[in-house]
Amino acid sequence: MFVFKAIPKSVYVCLLPPLMCVLVAAVLSVDSYSVDLHQVLSAASSGHLLGTDALGRDILARLAEGVVLSFSVAISVISLCAVIGISLGMVSAWLGGWVDSLLMRFVDIVLSFPGILLAIALAAVLGPGVDKLIIALSAVGWVGFARLTRAQVMSLRHAQYVEAAIASGQTAPYIAFKHLLPNIAAPLLIEASFGLAAVMIGEAGLSFLGIGIQPPAASLGTMIREGSQLMLVAPMQVFWPGLMLFLLVMAANIGGDALRDYLDVRRSS
Amino acid sequence: MLLRLSLFRIFESLPTILGVVTLVFFLLHLVPGDPVDALLGENAMAADKEVLRKSMHLDQPLWSQYTQYLGGIAQGDWGKSIISQRDIWGLITERLPATALLAGSSLFLALLLALPLGALAARFAGKSQDKAAMTFSLLGVSIPNFWLGPMLMLLFSVLLGWLPVSGMEASGSLVLPTITLGTALAAVLSRMARASWLDSMQTDAIRTARAMGVSERTLWWKHSARMTAIPVVTMFALQMGAVLGGAVITETVFDWPGLGLLTIEAIQGRDYPLVQGCVLLIALFYVSANLLADLLNLWLDPRQRSR
Repeated sequence: MFVFKAIPKSVYVCLLPPLMCVLVAAVLSVDSYSVDLHQVLSAASSGHLLGTDALGRDILARLAEGVVLSFSVAISVISLCAVIGISLGMVSAWLGGWVDSLLMRFVDIVLSFPGILLAIALAAVLGPGVDKLIIALSAVGWVGFARLTRAQVMSLRHAQYVEAAIASGQTAPYIAFKHLLPNIAAPLLIEASFGLAAVMIGEAGLSFLGIGIQPPAASLGTMIREGSQLMLVAPMQVFWPGLMLFLLVMAANIGGDALRDYLDVRRSS
Repeated sequence: MLLRLSLFRIFESLPTILGVVTLVFFLLHLVPGDPVDALLGENAMAADKEVLRKSMHLDQPLWSQYTQYLGGIAQGDWGKSIISQRDIWGLITERLPATALLAGSSLFLALLLALPLGALAARFAGKSQDKAAMTFSLLGVSIPNFWLGPMLMLLFSVLLGWLPVSGMEASGSLVLPTITLGTALAAVLSRMARASWLDSMQTDAIRTARAMGVSERTLWWKHSARMTAIPVVTMFALQMGAVLGGAVITETVFDWPGLGLLTIEAIQGRDYPLVQGCVLLIALFYVSANLLADLLNLWLDPRQRSR
């Protein structure tokens, strides 16, 4: 757990408001879906600490749900991307030849789209739903891991301990898990940290455009979308979800920066 | 030599371009179920479905659809929009000037902010100026533009009443979308400028020049600045492509009638051929920007040519 030492206090400061939000909502156990048309767009009160939205739903409860959703989608996407990207990157670097050319050509093609655009297009044709959203974001995100893993494995391919492992008859999967993975973990961890930030923005962005998570589920992106339509009457509706998203993204970015400095890895593009 | 290498790079990017067109073509075929059902609804009349199927060539085998699509793109026939029945290329070119204006002004703002910030941060590395500049950069990359946009609107249009809320008719309507789109670009660029400036100061060339008695001032603004220019120019060219991706969201926020908004309108209307057209154009522009970055690199950095 050496990485925890690297995380600066500012990450915890950023994470504190979203965490508080989730904890307070859990303690108060307010339903984020219960509609109350007598209390539409009400101001903060003891019953609703941050007020209510256009359908009289509790904003705090919805924020908490949004934070949890944003974080869990981000973790799922990054895990999926890491598994796919790292495996393909390793296969590509290990086998070389036409497999490598083919895979890297495909990676080039995916990288020929601005990431958010490809995710938008995929989410649009796949249709709404959290599962489809995760697929769309992962389809874009895995290439970063694949490229990075390939470059790293290529540089280790002829290291003495790898040659020794091959000579002693160990199988490729064993070498990959036992020798390669631990040695390329640092740059991958950094990629994952920045990836979290990108995916959280991506998920909220797609939801904001109306092609990600669909109402009534509370995604920070859909809340910003609903809030920005009510900006003239209730400006706080758009303020809170954006602030939570901003803090989460900033925490991930600071974390990535700190890890990079701590592990002293230079990011290769 | 330079020309030959440049031509080679251009030639080299052709398979990628073909790959991009192919991926965009198959995008439509990812629509779950029958695309015609998705477009017209399952309860549409069978005859209507048949007409649409024919007009989109969906009645033909995939391979011949693909070759027709490729041939069409190559000849400038990008197909017809299902909803407006108009030529896709015409619809796109109508929206291009608005996007070009927004992208151009955002890139300009990004340069205007990033270069002084990057230089300041590098010159005072580790000091408070550096920290301030890098905090701005961190904020810039972390603020989602679909939140920054509404917040700017709230402050400058609703509370202060200085600028129009959205659209592009009123004077000053370019200001808020430019800030929204330009901030993130500036953030990335200033980081890059700082890092490459600091890197270049570590090189042997600078050490040698310093040992030979060149003044710090000349070192910074002449020798080091030139070395920094290479990655910064490359990064800027890359951002010329990336800005269009960001424009999709920014244009939606501000109701800016550009290509990005057209893409979203097409998605909302399930006008898949138009979505294809928009995505393809943005991607082709992105590939060209990457190629431009490559060529600029080749031109600015003689070391690249020897490889």
